[in-house]
Amino acid sequence: MFSQLKARFGGGMALGILAMIALWLLVLVILPQFLMVDYSFRPNLLPKEVGGPKDTYSLINYETLFGNQIHLAIFAKTIWSSVLVTLLTLLVSYPLAFYLAKVATPRQAALCILLLIIPFWINEILRTFSWYIILAYKGPLNALLLALGFIDRPIRFLSGDTGVMIGMVYAYILFMIFPIYNAIESLDMNQIKAARNLGAGWIRTHYRVIIPHAKPGIATGCIMTFMLAAGSYAVPALLGSPGSRWFTQIIYNWFFEGGNWNQGAAYAFLLLIICIGFIALVMRVFKVGLGDIAR
Amino acid sequence: MDSSVHLDNVVMNFGDFTAVQKTDLKIESGEFFSFLGPSGCGKTTILNMISGFLDPSEGDVRIGGKAMRGVPANKRPTSMIFQNLALFPLMTVAENIEFGLEVRGVSKAERKKTSDRLLELVALDGSGTKQVSELSGGQKQRIAIARALAVEPQVLLLDEPLSALDLKLRQHMRTELKEIQRKTGITFIYITHDQGEALTMSDRVGVMSAGKLQQVADPITLYREPKTEFVASFVGENNAIAGSVEGVEGNNVTVNCAGLGLLTGRGIGAITKGQQANLFIRPELIRVGQAADAGCDVRFEANITEINFEGSYLTLNTQIGAQNIAVQIGAEQYTADLVAGAKVKLGFISQDAVVIARGENV
Repeated sequence: MFSQLKARFGGGMALGILAMIALWLLVLVILPQFLMVDYSFRPNLLPKEVGGPKDTYSLINYETLFGNQIHLAIFAKTIWSSVLVTLLTLLVSYPLAFYLAKVATPRQAALCILLLIIPFWINEILRTFSWYIILAYKGPLNALLLALGFIDRPIRFLSGDTGVMIGMVYAYILFMIFPIYNAIESLDMNQIKAARNLGAGWIRTHYRVIIPHAKPGIATGCIMTFMLAAGSYAVPALLGSPGSRWFTQIIYNWFFEGGNWNQGAAYAFLLLIICIGFIALVMRVFKVGLGDIAR
Repeated sequence: MDSSVHLDNVVMNFGDFTAVQKTDLKIESGEFFSFLGPSGCGKTTILNMISGFLDPSEGDVRIGGKAMRGVPANKRPTSMIFQNLALFPLMTVAENIEFGLEVRGVSKAERKKTSDRLLELVALDGSGTKQVSELSGGQKQRIAIARALAVEPQVLLLDEPLSALDLKLRQHMRTELKEIQRKTGITFIYITHDQGEALTMSDRVGVMSAGKLQQVADPITLYREPKTEFVASFVGENNAIAGSVEGVEGNNVTVNCAGLGLLTGRGIGAITKGQQANLFIRPELIRVGQAADAGCDVRFEANITEINFEGSYLTLNTQIGAQNIAVQIGAEQYTADLVAGAKVKLGFISQDAVVIARGENV
């Protein structure tokens, strides 16, 4: 890599670029993570006790979670809700991605993609707040549903998980649409025509030909959405209620309200490890390899 | 079973563009019919209308007498072999062949029986468990044929399926396709820009150009009696000699050609004196040297500009004035005096030449 860079930019510049990359990776990515891992194994001590005889490595911070029924329940709920968010996002995104990739004319597709991207020019907090307004008890969505006669009294979207789910599906939809869109786009149109020609209806054409082809894209989208959902803080904090706390909020509390960084770090790592394990499991079940995803 | 295909006054427009002009054509049950034409002539659009991927703007397609308008592609009694074959790469060979039966809810044992039988038909017995990627080009071709036949279509549509194969394999597959058609008795509709394919396999050929069906005839008639300038020049090699019509006498038309003088040929279509016309003469119908003297009623002398040896035959490119004339002779007729730069006597029988008025039906 160095010789390529050197050939292009000269020795000094190449060295500078590599040094910056190294600085970024080591100091800004790897080091802080290691620091957190280190924290998570040490007890929470007063500043003067740090480095003293009490400062020993142990698993005590990790054990805390398993002794706390409420935290465990929230943990499990976070994972489960993230799965639901992922499935819902997939359900919304797949038809859209298929439409963009195979049905729409290039102009229509470009317009659609633009419309999908524009909201993401706005800050995430603002976008989430706008959903807070839309979903409010006396907000526009309830007013619309009442006016159309679908409901006879307003729905409390913002208590329970409904609001969080809606907000997350909205927040992560692009991370799902684009990988699936890319995957379906690379499918030869004749494959679809061949399936139709052999008598397959639309549903069978999708599950026998299009979905198997798009599987790596679907897997990529699902992994990203799941990780983002499980690690989301803003959406549950803004659209959730005390009854629908996310595990990230507990981590936040340990750090900034409990002042216990060591405990927070341990919780954060548990979340990360479980999420990675969960993804590995799902990938195995659906027979998706890492190589498929990088494809 | 009636598996005729009737293009009942179909027209296909895409916006302002007319891809297929009004066409009325009946393809008989069990016929091997080819649409021949250059790319963009509308032949693939016709295939798409028959298979149901497009509905014609006007008129209708009738298969076995039944109107097909509104019948979706998956409900039509047709089956297609795609140009790139479009085998399903994530399924095994057997799964590919059985796909159409799986769709129809045929039992697994029944499906297996059919795919085994078809694999045998295409001489690939025992390949069922292979992956598509393990097959060679010719094998893939045969699997595509087997997959299309598995659903027992009334009509098999073939969209230039041989174009990706090398010459030897292509020639072999031609005979094989013809053989399969004979065995199954299914109506074959074949799309190609390769006149060799169309002429060797078909019972009848429809030549298309710019969305218009120019002529429908059996291969020999098509070759000998081209109805339009396009057919005369697109099907097979042909020398076109331009001139103005000097006289029309029954079937015989005399054309005054620059540098060659008066030439006579069979007139095709309406021709009147004074019109601009082309006289078409096939390279292999031009005789050389003594043979030209013997039986030819049209004779002239030309300069050889180039001589190409093609194995069983030779092509001589000759020139007379500004007119280039290609001549084809059997390799056994080659003599040492046929060299570039030499003068050569040429001749043809006027009944072998056809005269078609210019600017008509182009």
